[in-house]
Amino acid sequence: MAKELTNFEQFKSGILDNNPVLVQLLGMCPTLAITNSLENALVMGAAATFVVVMSNLITSLLRNLIKPHVRILIFTLTIATFVTIADLTLKAHMYEVSKQLGAFIPLIIVNCIIICRAEVVAIKSGVGKSLADAFGIGIGFTLALSILGVIRELLGSGSLTLPGGAKLLTLPAAFEPHAWIIMILPPGAFLTLGVVVGVVNWLRERGKAGA
Amino acid sequence: MDGVTLGGITGILLGVVLVNNLVFQGFLGICPFLGVSRKVDTAFGMGCAVTFVITMAGAITWAIMHLILHPLGESLFGDKLALNFLQYVAFIMVIASMVQLVEMYLKRFFPPLYSSLGVFLPLITTNCAILGACLYIYMKPETQPFINALVYAFGGGVGFMLAIVIMAGIREHLRFSNVPKPLQGAGITLLVAGILALAFTGFTGIGK
Repeated sequence: MAKELTNFEQFKSGILDNNPVLVQLLGMCPTLAITNSLENALVMGAAATFVVVMSNLITSLLRNLIKPHVRILIFTLTIATFVTIADLTLKAHMYEVSKQLGAFIPLIIVNCIIICRAEVVAIKSGVGKSLADAFGIGIGFTLALSILGVIRELLGSGSLTLPGGAKLLTLPAAFEPHAWIIMILPPGAFLTLGVVVGVVNWLRERGKAGA
Repeated sequence: MDGVTLGGITGILLGVVLVNNLVFQGFLGICPFLGVSRKVDTAFGMGCAVTFVITMAGAITWAIMHLILHPLGESLFGDKLALNFLQYVAFIMVIASMVQLVEMYLKRFFPPLYSSLGVFLPLITTNCAILGACLYIYMKPETQPFINALVYAFGGGVGFMLAIVIMAGIREHLRFSNVPKPLQGAGITLLVAGILALAFTGFTGIGK
């Protein structure tokens, strides 16, 4: 990064140019594991956004106190604390979804996106910039999860579910026998992500050539 | 203790290596799986390091839950599960220090492997396969006895090693093929992983 980004540019770069999943290829595990429905994708995105915002806030506030050699440990412990909060909240209010997400809520602790944001931005920037960055990254992550969730749920089960169980869209019953069951199984996750990453690369190449 | 039979243990081992492979069915440890699978020998080294850390971490986290947090919760609050909210923080501490140990050991005795693993070595801390396996051990009823937990953790590491070595073998050949430009790198690797996962789906139904 040559020039200093404004808070808004920092926010925007997390969503598009530096999308954590589709461009930086970080945080692959939850991306593959929980995108079998839009509902899971949105809840996971919200939980991860909460954790990245809080961890960036705390890290940024403590940035002058943290000694360099223990920083990773401090990041991990901060993140683990907020993940515990998110996990208990989900268990209390959205039990069904939290059961489906299973171990992937605690696994936000080891999501590389969040540690990466603490290390790259929060440890050396003020609170405003860190928060802008965290919101951008959180929304970018949720966006990427939702894209995969929409593709996989639509092709695999023929419907789209919002958090709370409401159906956003249901394909006609005639689709039922042609549902691609494979899309909601593990292999579908790898294949969809592979194709989406390919498409994103192609669009970026084209954007660069046009500019 | 009940549940410790040779058949049960073999079932757990086969289950976690093949049927519920942590990488292909559980989506754990995808970052190193994509990042360190360019050459077979590096992949093998990574697999060994992860297997070691996962087995040790599995054993120690089992002890933390059953010998420290449960008895302490019982005696302080009269409820075995009262201190369970400390689980994540305790687990991640154990894993981080295990990785530190492995890093120091490799640096001292295997410098070439140490430098070829590069940044991915400290990143084993954030390898979700390890934390994931430790959490699954605690969630599954059949891995409550210590031996079963140990076998599950070891099997998880072997499954990861199997996956990453197969992938590295394929990628060594992939270098000579003509891949469309947008798919080069991550794209084609994910597609290959998808096909491998499809193959591993074939194991579904073996054992329980």
